[in-house]
Amino acid sequence: MNKQRFFYRLLIGLFFASSVVFAQDEGDLPGDPDNGKKIFNAQCGACHKLDKKMVGPALGGVADKYSMDWIIAWTQDNAALRASGDKDAIAIFEEYNGAIMPAFPNLSEQDIKDIVAYTIAGDKKKAPAGDLADGGGAAAASDGGSSGGNIWVTLGLSVFLIVLIAILAKVKNTLKVIKGEPTSTLLDDASVFTRVAVRNQKVIAVVTLVVAVFLLQQLYWGLMSIGLEEGYEPEQPIAFSHALHAGENQIDCQYCHYGAEKGKHSNIPSVNVCMNCHTYVQEGPKYGEKEIDKIYAAVGFDRETSSYIEDYEQKPVKWVRIHNLPDLAYFSHAQHVNAGNIECQTCHGPVEEMEVLYQYSPLTMGWCINCHRESEVDVENNGYYEEVHAKMKEKHNTDKVTVDMIGGLECGKCHY
Amino acid sequence: MASEKTYWKGIGELENPELAEQLKSNEFAEEIPVEDFLTQQESNSSNTTRRDFLKFLGFSTAAATLAACEAPVVESIPYVVAPDKLVPGIASYYASVYDDGYDFASLLVKTREGRPIKVDPNRDAAYRGDVNARVQASVLNLYDATRLQSPLKNGEATDWATLDSEVKSALDKAQASGKRIVVLTGSVNSPATKRAFASFSEKYTNASHVSADAFSYSNALDASEKVFGKRQFPFFDLTKADKIVSVGADFLGQWIGQGVSSAYAERRKPGKDMSRHIQIEANMSLTGSNADTRYRVKPSEYTAILAGIYNRIAKAAGESTINAGKTSIDNQLDNIAKDLINSRGKSLVLCGTNDVNNWMLTYAINQLLGNFGSTVSTTVFSNLRQGNDAAFAQLLSDMKSGKVGVLLMAQTNPVYNNARGSEFADALAKVDCSVACSDKNDESASLVTYVCATPHALESWTDAEPFTGHYAFGQPTIRPLFDTRQWQHCLLSWAGVETDYHSFIKSYWEGKGLDVDKLLHDGFYTKLKEISEENTPDALSHVASVKVAKPSENLELALYEKTGMGVGNLANNPWLQEFPDPITRVSWDNYLTISAAQANELGLKNKTRSNGALDGNYVTITAGDVRIENVPVLIQPGQAYNTVGLAVGYGRTGIGRAAEDVGVNAFPLLLNGAHSVSNIEIEKQDGWHGFACTQLHHTMMGRRIVQEITLDTFINEPATTENHKGWNERTMFETVGQKLTADKANLWADFDKETGHFWNMSIDLNMCTGCGACVIACHAENNVPVVGKEEVRKSRDMHWLRIDRYYSSDMTKERAKEEGVGAIKMYLDMEVPSESPEVVFQPIMCQHCNHAPCETVCPVAATVHSSEGLNHMAYNRCIGTRYCANNCPYKVRRFNWFRYSDNAEKFGVNYAMNDDLGKMVLNPDVAVRSRGVMEKCSFCIQRIQLGKLEAKKDGRKVKDGEVQTACMQACDTGAIQFGDVNDSNSKVAALKEDKRMYHLLEDIGTQPSVFYQTKVRNKNA
Repeated sequence: MNKQRFFYRLLIGLFFASSVVFAQDEGDLPGDPDNGKKIFNAQCGACHKLDKKMVGPALGGVADKYSMDWIIAWTQDNAALRASGDKDAIAIFEEYNGAIMPAFPNLSEQDIKDIVAYTIAGDKKKAPAGDLADGGGAAAASDGGSSGGNIWVTLGLSVFLIVLIAILAKVKNTLKVIKGEPTSTLLDDASVFTRVAVRNQKVIAVVTLVVAVFLLQQLYWGLMSIGLEEGYEPEQPIAFSHALHAGENQIDCQYCHYGAEKGKHSNIPSVNVCMNCHTYVQEGPKYGEKEIDKIYAAVGFDRETSSYIEDYEQKPVKWVRIHNLPDLAYFSHAQHVNAGNIECQTCHGPVEEMEVLYQYSPLTMGWCINCHRESEVDVENNGYYEEVHAKMKEKHNTDKVTVDMIGGLECGKCHY
Repeated sequence: MASEKTYWKGIGELENPELAEQLKSNEFAEEIPVEDFLTQQESNSSNTTRRDFLKFLGFSTAAATLAACEAPVVESIPYVVAPDKLVPGIASYYASVYDDGYDFASLLVKTREGRPIKVDPNRDAAYRGDVNARVQASVLNLYDATRLQSPLKNGEATDWATLDSEVKSALDKAQASGKRIVVLTGSVNSPATKRAFASFSEKYTNASHVSADAFSYSNALDASEKVFGKRQFPFFDLTKADKIVSVGADFLGQWIGQGVSSAYAERRKPGKDMSRHIQIEANMSLTGSNADTRYRVKPSEYTAILAGIYNRIAKAAGESTINAGKTSIDNQLDNIAKDLINSRGKSLVLCGTNDVNNWMLTYAINQLLGNFGSTVSTTVFSNLRQGNDAAFAQLLSDMKSGKVGVLLMAQTNPVYNNARGSEFADALAKVDCSVACSDKNDESASLVTYVCATPHALESWTDAEPFTGHYAFGQPTIRPLFDTRQWQHCLLSWAGVETDYHSFIKSYWEGKGLDVDKLLHDGFYTKLKEISEENTPDALSHVASVKVAKPSENLELALYEKTGMGVGNLANNPWLQEFPDPITRVSWDNYLTISAAQANELGLKNKTRSNGALDGNYVTITAGDVRIENVPVLIQPGQAYNTVGLAVGYGRTGIGRAAEDVGVNAFPLLLNGAHSVSNIEIEKQDGWHGFACTQLHHTMMGRRIVQEITLDTFINEPATTENHKGWNERTMFETVGQKLTADKANLWADFDKETGHFWNMSIDLNMCTGCGACVIACHAENNVPVVGKEEVRKSRDMHWLRIDRYYSSDMTKERAKEEGVGAIKMYLDMEVPSESPEVVFQPIMCQHCNHAPCETVCPVAATVHSSEGLNHMAYNRCIGTRYCANNCPYKVRRFNWFRYSDNAEKFGVNYAMNDDLGKMVLNPDVAVRSRGVMEKCSFCIQRIQLGKLEAKKDGRKVKDGEVQTACMQACDTGAIQFGDVNDSNSKVAALKEDKRMYHLLEDIGTQPSVFYQTKVRNKNA
């Protein structure tokens, strides 16, 4: 009964709390700011910011300057609005040196109202850097918590077992008392056991052997791991976040690493590729202008005037290479990405979640070979394999052709 | 009693006993600051004991060792702004031109990340010249750090502004004073350059242009002028020639610059259309070794021989004959003349000398035979040799008499490569202002006031007109590495034309209404249609004036250009220096070739040391005033008796380590431009010279290594017969119940050769001229190391691809049988090559045996077989037992006795692997091998993998010809063909079924993936 009541109260409380929050925000807003934010990021963000002039004017407070009808008309087709002789529209056009804003007939009135709502409400999460940092911290803490939890469970179990031993000892003694035998303490039992064990050469031999094997195995793994850089996570000259670009923004890997499908190297993008977006995206959610300024410093881009500096002595960005295959192994990205249709993540891990990139795979020969043994070749959909496939079917009596069956384990396929 | 004598330790002890006493008690002359050390506060207060110190030491050593296991931080630096269309790891190809006034070739240049790493023939070009070994290797000279890096004034670096203003004022002064301004160059065939010179001479009206070739054909050009009305060689069309008679013309080597290898090979396919090639010469040349019949004569006999041929043909044609005299091959001349007359209009007589009479007779013979207009073009003429020795002689005398105000030299090096080089060097001092445009501070450039540093061909804009109507265009494939300027640019800027040479070439060709971008993209442009015949050439009217001199009785010297070195323009190139000469198989040297009989008479010897290195005697050569000492002697089968041969292009100084102290300079013997000296004396000297010879055995010892037949046999006799008596019969082995060939009679399980690719290579021994372009191409493609002369002498050369050369021997098994010669004597005699041998070449690389002897003996399985028929070599698995090399019947495996890269101390001569600039030539797709591993031909597996990848990317099969090995791509005659025999439409699959096909050493059962096509000689029946 008590429990049920508590649950109801909780529900009612939560409802009120949320409605209060809503009530606060709803106010006089013309639409839904959350939806507005989404549309803004997708459609407007390349040229506009709320608080800052970019390619186009800052949109914060736009509702104070212009009527909603005017904003809708401008957004859907600003050229028509200008053609109708609207003074405000022409003034903006001239202020931005005749730069034409594309028309957005695809946006409904409600969409535009939502956007305006967002420009009024603003970003609820200001100073995102701090927020994110806090979030990260919290995540770390909770991680620590979970592993701490494991320790508590273990400790609890141990205490439980110790108590169990004590209880059993007590029961044993009680039984002995009943039988009339002399009782013994727990410590006495233990010493008897150790005495027997120490005197028994077989036990010693077995223990020594186990310890020796353990140590040798540790040594072996230690030695085998020399030169392995799994988990290598160096600090990069620019704190580039794959989590943001590949994860949140869902930019295709090969937009930047365009060499991967074409040739041997999956190139680190040159700064001009960064500038495709960062000419407009001048501020990041975490580091603000600091990291993006490093790109500008490399290529010679002036943030204030949004233009390239003439005769600028460009400075290449010295990234730290993470995946270092030795020269004796020939690895072609195109072979794997393009011909083999392998996801980047197969070898590089969950890059889209990595704030700082690290080496996910061991890059050992064993690792390569293993994959070559297991991976199936898509022989059906590639004209190259046509004949091979027919013969393979005959020879191995199977439909499944793995990489090793077409010579993927031969030395010379990678070492030349 | 023991004596109590005092012994002084030195005179000092006697003279100054106190000091001696002091020294005795104080061992160290200077006091050791022990006190200082001990009284230091810190050390006193420290509790560190010796043991602690050692502990720390041990710990820190261990820590440092462990820390060293950490991989170093590798930086990866992308472009800031990446060039359009450049994808890292993917090669870009550009059409370009190599033209240094000696070698001309249209090229396809492979660049990786902006670095040219390989040059190959541009096969689209209608005339492409020869991409010979030298041109193949020229890409390495681009990365030669000893090239001039800035302009020089009096040997000190200066800047272009200073140089320009000073040279301009010197030019103005010379113009004002009326002194000569001379631009001295090699042969220039570039239309834009000629236009640039015209601009120059508009401003400086005293200016004149003098051409001088290193290996001169000036007199021959004079003969051409009389016959054709222009000082140019006509185009010789070997594809139309059924009979080729060459008198001293090494046309497969250098000759007059017209690359004819591919045209020659086109007519060497066995069959009714196969050409017959007769060579008459003194030295054993590359061309002579390919001839069907070769006659050895002295160079002074050439005129009489040509006159003899002329007379015989003239007689048959009813024309008047000339006074000829006797020759040593009169009987053979009858046959030769008959042969030529039978192929009227489809024959060709060529001459290789620089003599008016010889060339006049050559032209007259061709005219009589009706070859003008067919094999000898009367419309298309060569611009590749233009040297004028008379103009050069005039220049020299003007220089001496102080009449020359300004001398500009470009693409020429007369101090080194002219017979009057030393005179020229002295005369340079009397020129008011001397300027050299050169990429090296070479023999000539080091003597002038101003040196304009010029770029390499691959850094230059070029246009060329090698033959009438054939144009070639070259673009830079890399930004100039140094502060250099093309010499045409210099000329233009001194003439006051404010433009760079690129814009100048562009506007020149745009002025002709052509799309320059397309020209540069294609690399060539042909405009033959509009050429019309201007006049009727006539040689016959000049024949009467020909004087046939009596052949010399004395020892004669015939100078020649070596396939690898030419005139020595690219001498500082370790690839070329280590390239074994196709005939002698000697690298890193030039030498006096002499016949065995004459060497015997003069007591000159070649001997082999216990480690297999070849040594030879030294001689001194005297020809008139010229005396050259320390010339090593090499016995050369096929050398005409009473003649000796010596190659030019060696003995260069001051142009880099690879060229330094290699050979002797033979140019001073090129007296009056003649290619031979009719009276020389040689005198034996003390001492032995060490040769770096890569092949000491001369003959095949009666074994079936190079299979050779005559055309007659080929046409009329079966290759295989039922009773195994055909000319291409395979060895049969008796097994239980049946006779089997070696590949069938085996104990091992066979590999699956049907599934997937099965890569095979066919080498046509009839098409292979032995030129060695493939050897250098292999070097460039596969990062093959250069080991230097001393290591080659120990047979440690690293060539993955070698071209074995065999001479025929007078002793054969048949002859031994007939004459009843015993086996021991027979084999001993078989080792001795004939005095006038036939020569065969055989390119040998890893044969990729399908039952490989190397694979079975490797204890670590470092060399294993692939499913595609290749024999793989995993360098990092190899532990260097060398069992495989010992078990290889073809001797194609090479062992890295040293680390040849990053080892400048020992192998610095090979800058391709030992300095930062040189390493830019390395192919990034092929590993650079380290010490202690075996290496060998991989069938250019990197190219196979790439070809397969491209096919997979496009979802199609690999096209025939898509995968080419470097040697195949370099081979201008098409002797090497590579492909997948499982692709039934491939060329190589058809070649495998050819009746000439045989496997090398087939009877040992190795089942090679390389096969050869029997050589066929078109002998006079």
